[in-house]
Amino acid sequence: MKLTGLSFDALPPIDLPFRFFICAPFFMLLCAGVILVSGESLWLSRWQPSMLALIHGFTLGFLTMVMLGALLQLLPVIAGIGIVKPRPVACFSHALLSLGTLSLMAGFMYFDALLIYSAMLLLALALGVYIAALIWVLIKKLSQGDSIWGFRLATFSLLVVTLLGLALLARNLGVEWIPTTKMVTNVHALWGLTGWAGILIIAVSFQVIPMFHVAPAFPLWVRRFLIPAIFIALILSIAFPTLGLAAINGLHAIFALVLLFVIHQRKRKVPDTSIRYWQLGALALLLSSLLFFIPETLWNRYLAVNKTHLLVALFLFFYLMSIIQGMLLKILPFLSYTHLQQRCLINFEAMQYIPNMHEFLNKKHGQWLFYLHIISGLLLIFVLAWPSLYAAFAVSLALESIGLLAIMLKIMSLYFAVNTKISQAAK
Amino acid sequence: MTSIPDYMTAKHRDCDEVFTLAEASVAKGNWELAAESWQQFKDELLTHFSQEEDTLFPAFEQATGMTGGPTQVMRMEHQQMRSLVTDLEQAMSEQNKDSFLGLSETLMVMMQQHNMKEEMMLYPMMAKNLPQGDEIIASFSA
Repeated sequence: MKLTGLSFDALPPIDLPFRFFICAPFFMLLCAGVILVSGESLWLSRWQPSMLALIHGFTLGFLTMVMLGALLQLLPVIAGIGIVKPRPVACFSHALLSLGTLSLMAGFMYFDALLIYSAMLLLALALGVYIAALIWVLIKKLSQGDSIWGFRLATFSLLVVTLLGLALLARNLGVEWIPTTKMVTNVHALWGLTGWAGILIIAVSFQVIPMFHVAPAFPLWVRRFLIPAIFIALILSIAFPTLGLAAINGLHAIFALVLLFVIHQRKRKVPDTSIRYWQLGALALLLSSLLFFIPETLWNRYLAVNKTHLLVALFLFFYLMSIIQGMLLKILPFLSYTHLQQRCLINFEAMQYIPNMHEFLNKKHGQWLFYLHIISGLLLIFVLAWPSLYAAFAVSLALESIGLLAIMLKIMSLYFAVNTKISQAAK
Repeated sequence: MTSIPDYMTAKHRDCDEVFTLAEASVAKGNWELAAESWQQFKDELLTHFSQEEDTLFPAFEQATGMTGGPTQVMRMEHQQMRSLVTDLEQAMSEQNKDSFLGLSETLMVMMQQHNMKEEMMLYPMMAKNLPQGDEIIASFSA
């Protein structure tokens, strides 16, 4: 553990995480648009170009977008220091990630080589710079927490996902860096969902759930071994996909059960939408992990839904997206509050203007978003069985994204209004 | 003998427990019970702050020569929390449930992100850099 460099860097400027967060609902809205214009045929195969556009809209435009924004805030807390030069890194990565994801989605939809080339360049730069900045922080031996290894392995997974993604795009354009098998695509998808997003969420949960909800700590063996075990299973899955996937699903089921147990044991039981998002996410993870073990032949005899599609829908929409939304509902009002309050430390008089977290985010609005998310998720499951219902899912998803956007805009506009008031009071 | 990380982390948990009790009582509208737990929380919290600000932080700063870094940020966050405590007292005296719960949520998040920094980094560093750590803790519990 080194002392030099430790600063707890109070806080990165608020517009840096905000710019990532505000783009996420727009990408969700765009996904709703893709679903609406693609029609029924979208749901026939995972290899449909518009399905690739949709999946990357969710994973890059929504999940990765929010996660990169949230890391700016989480790193000083979990690793002891933040990203060096946060403004240029965040502004550059954010702009290029937004443009790159748009090009990628359009490139898939219209199969345009120029769009794919620009997506490759933009995403390589956006993620490359951010990953380099993360590595710079995470190689330092600063923290004693159990989460830090999770952050490191998640960052490494993101690097793997990015490199494989680039190679896959190059293959589409006729540049054969990698063999033409579906294996590489599967590794890319699995490392993205389970390595990058999954490990990061698990690492964050070890800290967030016990502390914010006054729950017992996760058992020591879970904190020590779960993340390395998942990572080993990910590596195993490259050579032995069936074995690796079974191990990953088994480990996820264990995590989901422990998470539900820890949440159940919490002492702080005031109504809280974020914790309901966590519970929903844990249940979905448990369900998808258990369903995995139903043999394909048995599945096809009794269930009309493609197994992989259902598992990915549960994992991506009901697990990852639920937890990310739940965390946004905490991070947005907290960041707004704490930034304004820090400004008032030199002018205590102005403290009276600062709204508390519930005034930034009306609890009812958070609940509505939660219900909308459940409705959208259920409609997604229905669409997998009856693709003709696609328009209902698209509309629900659009409403959800507008709801999230409205919540964000209200918080941000209140932030800026109070910020101006504080400046005026200082004069 | 108790080490700095063990003792101070346990104190964080104690504060969380009484805080949660106060909050739950307010949510149920039981202001009398809430006032009791609240007073206990406030006493624990302010004692903890002063143990850090008056004893542990200066000792750490002296031992490491780091005066402008982590301890400065921790002091600032203590100020932020003290100000929230004042607002919460106000809400308590007015028996304003909505205001109390909005502020308690804010204090909770503020407190926990602060505690994470201390528990994962600052306390372990103190343990490493302050050979007299256990004696300091013994003087706290005396």
